[in-house]
Amino acid sequence: MTQIFTVTDLNQRIADRLENDPRLHDLWARGEVSNYLHHRSGHRYFTLKDEGSSISCVLFKGSALSLNFELEDGKNVMVFGDVAVYRPQGRVQLIARGIKQDEGLGFRHLQLEALKKKLAGEGLFALERKRALPLYPERIGIVTSPQGAALQDVLRTIGPYPAKIILSPAQVQGEGAEESIASAILALRGRADVIIVCRGGGSTEDLWCFNSEIVARAIFACDAPVISAVGHETDVTIADYVADMRAATPTAAAKMAVPDVEEIKEGLCSTQVRMMRALWTSLERKEERLEYLKHNVSAKRMYSLARDARQRLDILCQSLDAAQADKMQSLRSRLELAEGRLAAVGPRATLRRGYAIVRSQKGLILQAQDARPGDVLELILGRGRLMCRVLECLDGREELE
Amino acid sequence: MKKDEIGLEEALDSLEQIVEVLEEGKMTLEESLDLYEKGMKLVKLCNSRLEGAQRRIECLTGELPPDLT
Repeated sequence: MTQIFTVTDLNQRIADRLENDPRLHDLWARGEVSNYLHHRSGHRYFTLKDEGSSISCVLFKGSALSLNFELEDGKNVMVFGDVAVYRPQGRVQLIARGIKQDEGLGFRHLQLEALKKKLAGEGLFALERKRALPLYPERIGIVTSPQGAALQDVLRTIGPYPAKIILSPAQVQGEGAEESIASAILALRGRADVIIVCRGGGSTEDLWCFNSEIVARAIFACDAPVISAVGHETDVTIADYVADMRAATPTAAAKMAVPDVEEIKEGLCSTQVRMMRALWTSLERKEERLEYLKHNVSAKRMYSLARDARQRLDILCQSLDAAQADKMQSLRSRLELAEGRLAAVGPRATLRRGYAIVRSQKGLILQAQDARPGDVLELILGRGRLMCRVLECLDGREELE
Repeated sequence: MKKDEIGLEEALDSLEQIVEVLEEGKMTLEESLDLYEKGMKLVKLCNSRLEGAQRRIECLTGELPPDLT
């Protein structure tokens, strides 16, 4: 049989039905707050929602006194209360008697977990695809806000390391941040050897854009290894999972990206010492061989080798700093000593053909520059020696070359 | 960086090799001196790269904020 209700009667009947259902009393409902309104009457109105549905909620002034946190849009909460019907509008609502924060267990969290699962399934977090960071990057890409403190931290930490820094500006929070970050990352493709994606600390809400799929995919699509540094130590986002390296802070990210300049300099110093020592050792060994060979090998050849070596040592000496130059000087005098001995023994035959060996107190004279007007030189001839004084030094280099 | 200029990494790598070969000591005096000279050139090059490094910042979408240049 058909019954005709007035609207008021209908809503009354619905209300009776719902409000008398014990299963709709003293219940907990979980969801995210939106459309939050703190009415000047002291009552609070909001919509509690999850990904599929929403319900109006009211927290009356009296119950609101027990709130121990600030209600706001986007917050995940657990609401304790009863279902009621607002008769003038026939609206089903939840009369909240108590609300507590639901840390990370809201639907957004569930969404996040689902996204994580999906991306992990596609291999975006796979350890075997993580790339090693270059030891000495020449181009460092930075994706962050140009105004943020994070950028300053990164630049300060990179310090004097000689690399080109390519800033790819991004909006790192708020509406449109996800797209902005993703395209800033993609803009660095082919332009950087390592990429730092960073922003400073902020609320979970602020950092949320780093949990988006589009950012994750952009990082995945990068051709250079990516270091992520979002928020503080305890904030871990999807960007961190996809990135090749995760740093706790932007400063830590920069430290990972570049080597320590002082360390390289120390390494260079010790390299110089090692080369010097190796050369020294090898010269000593050569000298022993020279000692042995001088009886058996063409003196002229040895002589010219020694001369070349001496000239090159001269050139090297000029390029070294004082401490090293001392060492080199001593190498040189040992070489000269060897030369002298060689000269004295070896070239007799040549001397007999009319050549002479010229030397001064400082050593052999091989070119006009080695002597100065007024120097006393010793000429060793095929037989006997002449002591001479230099009148003039003529640089005849161009004739010889 | 110009194309013909070798990078820091390459320079440091070849330096390491040079030192190892020099320390092996199996070369002629001539070769040792060659290598030593080459090594010193690389040391100089690395040092000048590290010393003369000016902060070079480029911004992909145009202007840098003035406090960063």
